[in-house]
Amino acid sequence: MQAFENYLKHHTPITGEQFTVLKQELKEKNYPKGRILLHEGESTNVSYFVCKGLLRAYTLDNQGKEHTIQFAPENWWLGDRNSFYFKEPAAFNIDVLEDSEVVIVSKNFLDSAMELCPDFGKYNVYLLHNSIRYMQRRINQLLAASAEERYLDFIRLYPKLTLRISQIMIASYLGITPESLSRVRKELARRNSYL
Amino acid sequence: MKKLIESIVAKPVKPGMVGDGFRVFNYIPRGGITQRRISPFLMLDFNAAFDFGPSDHIRGVDVHPHKGFETVTIAYQGSVAHYDSAGSSGVINPGDVQWMTAGNGILHKEFHEESFSKKGGLFEMVQLWVNLPKKDKSVAPHYQALTAENMGKLVLDNNQGQVNIIAGGTAGVNGPASTYTPINLFDIQLNSGGTFTTSIPSTHNTALLIVNGHIEVNGAEAAEHSFVLFKNEGDEISIQANTKSVILLLSGEPINEPIASYGPFVMNTDAEIREAIIDFNMGKFGYLE
Repeated sequence: MQAFENYLKHHTPITGEQFTVLKQELKEKNYPKGRILLHEGESTNVSYFVCKGLLRAYTLDNQGKEHTIQFAPENWWLGDRNSFYFKEPAAFNIDVLEDSEVVIVSKNFLDSAMELCPDFGKYNVYLLHNSIRYMQRRINQLLAASAEERYLDFIRLYPKLTLRISQIMIASYLGITPESLSRVRKELARRNSYL
Repeated sequence: MKKLIESIVAKPVKPGMVGDGFRVFNYIPRGGITQRRISPFLMLDFNAAFDFGPSDHIRGVDVHPHKGFETVTIAYQGSVAHYDSAGSSGVINPGDVQWMTAGNGILHKEFHEESFSKKGGLFEMVQLWVNLPKKDKSVAPHYQALTAENMGKLVLDNNQGQVNIIAGGTAGVNGPASTYTPINLFDIQLNSGGTFTTSIPSTHNTALLIVNGHIEVNGAEAAEHSFVLFKNEGDEISIQANTKSVILLLSGEPINEPIASYGPFVMNTDAEIREAIIDFNMGKFGYLE
């Protein structure tokens, strides 16, 4: 919870007193690696903020293959807007990739926070635009970029994740095969290695 | 003057898995034994004797990077095969020590040696991370493959046992490892009732890991799998084995520089850590299948 309070105080002028009031709408949870927090098709009225650990949103295709939509390491938010905002069945699965400490954020929290601290509302709009910007970039990359360009963008966005998750999972985010990812890394090493 | 004992720490309650091949108890860093307190040692993982059983699936740790320090693998039982992005590979057998200087950055992987894996049997290893001083963090990565027969051997009188000197020295016997800062690493093997006395400078941060057996050290009892941390006062260490015992003695002159670490990278500043992560992602440490 402290990490979430620090995050909010860093990005918004929210006060300690306001946070104490708002805290009633939040829940802290520890989840073990491997836990599935949301299944596609279910409904949910919560989103997650990651204090420590790593969550992921993904879908399964008809062949049972995983496609990663988003990773959420420390200080990232993750939720299924389909269900959280539109009250429709969840479009994604959410699972826990590392033992994680998360804050469960309800719609009430967001509404109350915007009421108590209008600048929180402004920050939330900024986050929304930022997320749309990255999503548009991701759509363009999936349509038009080479495997290497996608990988280079991934390591800019998530520099530490290459040390935390498998190549298979990175490939499932980039929309390429693990073999293509190996080729990309091999080629980068050929050009850049100082060994 | 005898070295004073700061604490004797029992074996951690639960082991952790490193990949699927190393079932380790972590002694450094832990509680009061911080990386600063025990500098130049950064980490000590002990795979206490464990039989994983015969397996066609070769257990181990897949490709991962290291930068800014040295990894020292001490094999007591079982065999480990290793490969790296500089094209080196080898097998570490019982009594051997692999001293890898990651320096500027390398990728490597370690697995149970294939025939050992298929046969099964007791697996007992220590992995120790040794920091490098700032001036040496960017040396080209390299190995010292120290084999059992090349260790400095100090045979104790009256069948009391033998001390294999890996690094540093005592009683005129020196170990084969070349180190960047003064370090002693002794594999002390004592028969029941055997004694061994040595002198380690009080400036060294010094500890013992009781790999097997039960000992008395400087008047205190230390049980199997406990870890003895000495104060930086006094120099003499006197060990008596109550049962047949194997003890790892580690000591080193502290490196008084800031430590910034993230996973397998240990540098002096956070900016250097960020740079190390970018270098790794961009393929600067080479490639390993």
